[in-house]
Amino acid sequence: MSKGVLVDLTKCVGCGSCTVACKLYNDTKWDEKQPTVGPNVKLSDKNWTVVKFHEVKDKEGRPVWRFVKQQCFHCKEPACASACFAKAFQKTKEGPVIYYPHLCVGCRYCMVACPFNVPKYEWEKPFPLVTKCMMCSNKVAKGEAPACVSVCPAGVFKYGDREELLKEAKAIIAKDPKYVKHIFGEQEVGGTEWIYISDIPFEQLGFKTNVTKRPLPSYTAAYMHATPYVGIAWGVVLTGLYHYTKRRNQIAKENNKNIKA
Amino acid sequence: MQNQVAKEKERQMTRRGFLKMMGGIGLAGITATIAGCSTDPAGGKGWMPQQYQVASSFPVQVKGRVPIDPANPSITRDDKKCVLCGQCVEVCQRVQTVYGYYELPIKNDITCVNCGQCTLWCPTAAITERDDIDKVVKALADKNMHVVVQTAPATRVALGEEFGMAPGTFVEGKQVAALKKLGFDAVFDTNFSADLTIFEEGTELIKRISGQIHEPLPQFTSCCPGWVKFCEYFYPDLLPHMSTCKSPQQMLGALIKTYYAKEKGISPDKIFSVSIMPCTAKKFEAARPEMNSVDKHAKKTELRDVDVILTTRELARLIKSKGIDLNSLQDEKYDSLMGESTSAGLIFGVTGGVMEAAIRSSYFLITKQEPPEALLNLTPIRGLKGCKEAAVDIPGVGTVKVAVVHGLSNARPVLEAVRKKEAPWHFIEFMGCPGGCIGGGGQPRTSLPPSDQVRQARIDSIYNADAHIYAKRKSYENKEVLALYQKFLENPNSHLAHELLHTHYTDRSKLLTVKKDA
Repeated sequence: MSKGVLVDLTKCVGCGSCTVACKLYNDTKWDEKQPTVGPNVKLSDKNWTVVKFHEVKDKEGRPVWRFVKQQCFHCKEPACASACFAKAFQKTKEGPVIYYPHLCVGCRYCMVACPFNVPKYEWEKPFPLVTKCMMCSNKVAKGEAPACVSVCPAGVFKYGDREELLKEAKAIIAKDPKYVKHIFGEQEVGGTEWIYISDIPFEQLGFKTNVTKRPLPSYTAAYMHATPYVGIAWGVVLTGLYHYTKRRNQIAKENNKNIKA
Repeated sequence: MQNQVAKEKERQMTRRGFLKMMGGIGLAGITATIAGCSTDPAGGKGWMPQQYQVASSFPVQVKGRVPIDPANPSITRDDKKCVLCGQCVEVCQRVQTVYGYYELPIKNDITCVNCGQCTLWCPTAAITERDDIDKVVKALADKNMHVVVQTAPATRVALGEEFGMAPGTFVEGKQVAALKKLGFDAVFDTNFSADLTIFEEGTELIKRISGQIHEPLPQFTSCCPGWVKFCEYFYPDLLPHMSTCKSPQQMLGALIKTYYAKEKGISPDKIFSVSIMPCTAKKFEAARPEMNSVDKHAKKTELRDVDVILTTRELARLIKSKGIDLNSLQDEKYDSLMGESTSAGLIFGVTGGVMEAAIRSSYFLITKQEPPEALLNLTPIRGLKGCKEAAVDIPGVGTVKVAVVHGLSNARPVLEAVRKKEAPWHFIEFMGCPGGCIGGGGQPRTSLPPSDQVRQARIDSIYNADAHIYAKRKSYENKEVLALYQKFLENPNSHLAHELLHTHYTDRSKLLTVKKDA
């Protein structure tokens, strides 16, 4: 059973503790130009998680403030890992989708593949790598919650078995009428380890709700599986052609010799 | 022999050979760097605040932090310094009962009473007051501006701590000298308007008790902007109990641009008014939209009663930045017109002080007799106990019951009692910060977290000045206040006094969902 995090957006007060914990644990640098909490925040190579401020209207039409923590959703079937031919992105059995810098060749296919635009490139570095939230895989492997989850003073997060959390999320939104009847991440792109519940419709909070429910790798899996066979067959064909032309040239040369002589 | 020389030559490295070798090592190095010799995945290995050299195990006691609105006029936070120790949550929730006392989800406000206690508890000084020094420096440099400053009662027993003096050192004269040296055109004392508050608030209380105005009892003091905002958030139904008096700081602000401007013949828009306060909530108070009575009075738009508030810590930084050594300054006196004060005004700076000052004067105003010695040292309402009570017999009125509360967690049970109509008191003093203004959120961070030892030292210093340094101990002896009434305001609670010295409050309960059983 993979681990996941249930995020209850109604409980977030916007303190930004999670973004600080991420920096303290992953030792990513602060960037004056890229804040981690506020209305204009974006994930970047230094900010693996950000808390975005939204001023929206509640069901009665009153203005309310909501804060949305963004980070990698850790898809159950990650498109980034499927797009990576170097196996730099790998899905662990505990849940996190992790990145091995020593395997990365820098092609950035993962950035194109990700439906949520999560992986970021270290453009400023001479030898850049791809970066993204690792869900504190070292902590998760030890059975601990990710750094951001463990420091929240408002109780926004719950860490545990993803399937258990899903059941709990369903129970919460069934019982409390303030929640929208949707668990983001339950089915999106085949399901994600991070799942969200909210009292404001997700599309108003910057969530990409028009994504497919089918796991993205499944679109290409059928024909991508043929890649090795195509490769071998093509090699056989080319080798055959090589030998054929070589033989033909040899015969032609011999014939010429014969004619000249 | 020749053979040997040839062999030696072979052994010596040629230039080409050397370059080839270096190029090869370089290429191998670059390849290794790109490929990465480690097989670890990216991501953290442990807890790594900036001062740590190596990642350590994840501490269990990290607790997160309080939310701070980026637009908060009082406090601000440097994320780079935050270590998530949770001290701000601790003080906000347990001492001030603000964080955690509202239901989630939030509405369109980050609930904060601006008291600034978190700035005193934050061990890394990530949370600080919003720095307004630049505005003051700019005004001081502007030849066309007449820059006036007032100093709160409590800053004079704490400012010295920023310059290496012992907690509670009395630096009233040195503070005035430093302000004059900084180039302020006039230095006034908020003690003066504290004496004035006694006239206004005392008159209001007598009117409430005698039924001349139909507002409920007990009357609440309104000097503390943190407490006022707390009441507006959590107990808006009790706002009619709140005295309509502005805080002494805002009263003096209103007078500087009216009374002082008139006496001096200066246009109010050429006056820049600065307040030195022990308080971060004063920054919020001065920015409240209704604090523009000068504006209305002078029929000029966009005039604030007070332009900038500097905390004690900011004043210390300003003094240091100009290379002034507070220790070596000779004592100077406040400017006249609004510089005279009695020690009744001074003790506004400690918990119980407003009440004690009010009792000293009420006794006189009602009985026309000097108060007995016991009323000049009203020990039951002194000290650091959270909630203090006293009953005072005033001939002609009977027994007046009073209570004194400091620290907002101590206010809740008292307010609940008032709500249930079970409160026996006539008058209650509320101060947001533990110890009163001497323990305010803008005071020097002498001990971390703030200790009762330092608070007590400052309190002792105030009462020592009350007993031994100040010549007058009763507000009604303040000649300049009496002159102010004679020349300008006519009498307490007059029409003009209401226009300039009184205010109204805002129900803020719509900005949050108050927790029922917190």
